[in-house]
Amino acid sequence: MNPSNPPQAAEYGGDEVSAIVLDPGYSTTRAGFAGEDAPKSLVPTYYGKYNADGQEKLIFGDDVFVTPRPALSVHNPVGKDGIVEDWDMAEKVWEYSFTSRLTGAKPGNPFQNGLNDISNDELPTEMEVESDEKPLADSPLLMTEPGWNPAKAREKTIEIAMEKWGTPAFYLARSGVLAAFASGKASALVVDIGASNISITPVHDGMILKRGVQHSPLGGDYISSQIRALFKSNSPQPITITPHYLISSKTAVEAGQAPQAKYKTFPAEKAPDASYRSLLEERTLSEFKECVVQVWPGPNKLSATGPTGVSNEETARTWPGRPFEFPDGYNQVFGVDRFRVVESLFDVKAAIPDPDSPFPAPTSSQTIPELIKGALSGVDVDIRPHLLANVVVTGASSLLYGFTDRLNHELMQLFPGPRVRISAPGNTAERRFGSWIGGSILASLGTFHQMWISKKEYEEHGPNIVEKRCK
Amino acid sequence: MAAADVRDMLDLPAEGQPRPHKKQKVVEKRPEGITRELFALLGERAPPIAINENKYKGRPKLMNKLRVRPWRMSPFTNNARSDGLVLKHWQRKHESTRPPAPERSQMEVDENKEEGKEEAPKPLEQEYTFAKYNIKARVPRRYTDEEYNRHLRSDDWTREETDYLVDLVTEYDLRWVVIADRYDYQPRMETEPDANALVPAKQYRTMEQMKARYYYVAATILAFEHPPSEMSEAEFELHEKMLKFDADRERDRKELAALQLNRTADEVREEAMLLEELKRITSNEQNFISERRELYSRLEVPISVGNTAMYQSSQGLSQLLQTLLQADKTKKRRSILGGEGAAPSPAGQTPTQAGAPGDTPGAAPSISHKKGAAAAAREAQQPVRTLSPAEEARYGVQHHERLTAGVQFRSDRAQKLTQAKSNVQTQKLAHALAELEIPVRLFMPTERVCKDFEKLIQSVNLLLDTRKVAEKVENEIRVLESAKTERERKSKEATAPGSSAPNPGHPEVKMEAEDGAAGVLAPSTGDAAASAPPNSSQGGNAADQAQGDGSVDAPTEETPAKEVEGNHKRSASVLSGVSDKSSKRQRR
Repeated sequence: MNPSNPPQAAEYGGDEVSAIVLDPGYSTTRAGFAGEDAPKSLVPTYYGKYNADGQEKLIFGDDVFVTPRPALSVHNPVGKDGIVEDWDMAEKVWEYSFTSRLTGAKPGNPFQNGLNDISNDELPTEMEVESDEKPLADSPLLMTEPGWNPAKAREKTIEIAMEKWGTPAFYLARSGVLAAFASGKASALVVDIGASNISITPVHDGMILKRGVQHSPLGGDYISSQIRALFKSNSPQPITITPHYLISSKTAVEAGQAPQAKYKTFPAEKAPDASYRSLLEERTLSEFKECVVQVWPGPNKLSATGPTGVSNEETARTWPGRPFEFPDGYNQVFGVDRFRVVESLFDVKAAIPDPDSPFPAPTSSQTIPELIKGALSGVDVDIRPHLLANVVVTGASSLLYGFTDRLNHELMQLFPGPRVRISAPGNTAERRFGSWIGGSILASLGTFHQMWISKKEYEEHGPNIVEKRCK
Repeated sequence: MAAADVRDMLDLPAEGQPRPHKKQKVVEKRPEGITRELFALLGERAPPIAINENKYKGRPKLMNKLRVRPWRMSPFTNNARSDGLVLKHWQRKHESTRPPAPERSQMEVDENKEEGKEEAPKPLEQEYTFAKYNIKARVPRRYTDEEYNRHLRSDDWTREETDYLVDLVTEYDLRWVVIADRYDYQPRMETEPDANALVPAKQYRTMEQMKARYYYVAATILAFEHPPSEMSEAEFELHEKMLKFDADRERDRKELAALQLNRTADEVREEAMLLEELKRITSNEQNFISERRELYSRLEVPISVGNTAMYQSSQGLSQLLQTLLQADKTKKRRSILGGEGAAPSPAGQTPTQAGAPGDTPGAAPSISHKKGAAAAAREAQQPVRTLSPAEEARYGVQHHERLTAGVQFRSDRAQKLTQAKSNVQTQKLAHALAELEIPVRLFMPTERVCKDFEKLIQSVNLLLDTRKVAEKVENEIRVLESAKTERERKSKEATAPGSSAPNPGHPEVKMEAEDGAAGVLAPSTGDAAASAPPNSSQGGNAADQAQGDGSVDAPTEETPAKEVEGNHKRSASVLSGVSDKSSKRQRR
């Protein structure tokens, strides 16, 4: 075949080998079979840990949210910058993500599972060998990683996949590249707004340009901290978030009135850890983000003056507010404040100061326009216009109302010359699982199957092969 | 109008008459589930309730005979891989007789009983469909140590770094953007390719430097393989291209590109504005050129020879308008009445139709119409504002004592003056004008020019007449002198008696000739004197009247007839005479 002849467009390129795609994130871990349009298994990356009968027990999946067990503490194996810190727990969480829904639990020894009635003397001993089967022995595994994942972490990942899970073939792809694939582009500038990070990944011909990769911690969790800061300085009264598990009953109150609810109290020895409460508060906050928070759509910043001479803030104030009811029954209509909590993603001066926040005040180089500027200055000038014409927006936090409009305006202002074109899928699932969907596409392509790192190759070359193969 | 309407009007049967018959036939078809007798009782009308119930039809009979073609999970290898990784995918089972598979997966145990024999897994040897897409960019072969030492040494690049570069180029298939991004050469070759490539290498290489080095190496190797004289065309082109790579120019280009990319909004706006302006200017120029061409083509229009007399009555005009409107409708051309200008000038309007001779006089009615309207408008304005004589001259306002019907061109009137009664006279006039370097067709037939031209022609005519008379007189003098000498000779010959006898006709003749000359002379001078004052005072009113028939395309051959006949004694009979003549010409 001649390299100058492109393959026929009509040729269907799919060939499914029942590969599993695993897209671990800071907030959630997505897993599913390649070739499907959404991950079958969506579990929180957070896990719970508690002591029962003197034994340490772990809770994975959505069960974390359900029961406030005594001294239940919530942890996350992934660090704030998106790189795994606790490898043992990360392995367990990831394994749970596919064994719980996709591959099924390992079959136990039929003689010991209590379903069979066998006399003791017939109990064979050689059955032990079978129970050694690895959870992924049948399925190739495609995993994703952030663009700034260090080499050590990559090697550790393939080690786990090959040795602990026993996958016959493995591949490690950058989530930015996959998000670009999900929107059908081989070259794109991927803007990923995740829970813990914003990342900008320039992708050229299906490969990331490492010098252009930018990331900053102004993700969904940062927005939550801004919302908390807003609640503290709320005008009729400061708002405290009481998660549902602490409410036993509530009665409806007028907007702005103090809540009238009966609270549950836990005695000190039975109360869950503070991290449990903050995790559940986070759930309320994400609901708040979905229902109320809005990005000033632009043009210009919220603090700027509009074309008619009225400041944008005044204009936003005239728009109807959005009501929100908290779990304890307190409700309020949020006006211009709902714009201010996300404004610092674009305008660092608009950040709401909060000394208690775990996030330090953002610097101007962490805002999205600056990150994009930095990413573009790190790549060759010839492809910059092309990248600007293919901006892919993904990540669940990019679903904030008005976000893409604002981003479009900011980019147009930043680069008035070249054509700026944002491609953001309107479908919520496609936006949330952008990189997983890209992985699903990639792992089900017939041409991709030559890219897998097979077990044999891994055994020959060691974990360092991931650096050579997954470029 | 639809055919149905016509039929309706004419009370004809509708076209689709036979259709109901067909429909009835369809209705008569007995549905399943009703006996024939029962159906006959129903009559023509179908029962309101469907009697037959819908049954599940299942698969078509043809399909039932086919067996299900099962799919099976079959292992395969990919030829594009070197390690022989076996993956499994679903494939349609081929119904061919093959030796039974040596091993069989657990899932298919239940199927095995009936089809065990045929159920061979797809042979692993069959080539994987997607293996053909495993392609690499063609790069020249690697240099040997000797070649490197001889030809490729460079002060800037060490052997190790060159190796590293060529490796990288091969690895990334000449994707320079990626290569430049991943280029991270450590001089000690301790390539622990750190994913965190943001740390700049000690010696930072630009993409241009890499390209220049690689192209030099590749071109040299290419030349080793085939000397340039033996290269194929494509190879030679590639070789040339690589040799001619200019890193500095490339760098400059990129700097310019960066500048272009980082323009401010104002610059972008300015550029857009300038582009818009440029577009406007070019389109204006185009318009201007096309308009000028049109104008030129109008100037070169031959003078039409049609007769306009028939359009000078109001009936004629209305008739003409009718025909024009008709023509306008049928041709679907832009309406002559609906010009874009508010008051199109007559000169500008007429030649549009000049191409079609039948249409030529067509402009006349519309223009006179306009003129009338304009005059009415002017009259309506009169009480508001009276123009001083200077202003009148400036705006070209004229007052006519008497207007003839129809329109004429001022230039035509001037034109007619150059036509004399006889061809000889016309030629003489032309000669005289040529002598004065005045073109026969006036360039700018403004009113003043026409007036002056008229004066000039009159004086030329006068001159010519005078010259003619003078010649005549000279001739006569010569004749008489010769006669005189003759007579004297004769008288000398026959000295006495016959001297007074010779005929006395000569002096008489001479007298008559002199009278005639004076007669010719006198009226023509009088003519000029008589016609000049009204011309100067009333803007050639008299001349207008005199040339009533000389409208847009007055036949030039006819003009001499009335030209010298005297402008002052023009009458209806003469007019009709002229029109008779012209109509005769037309018939011819």
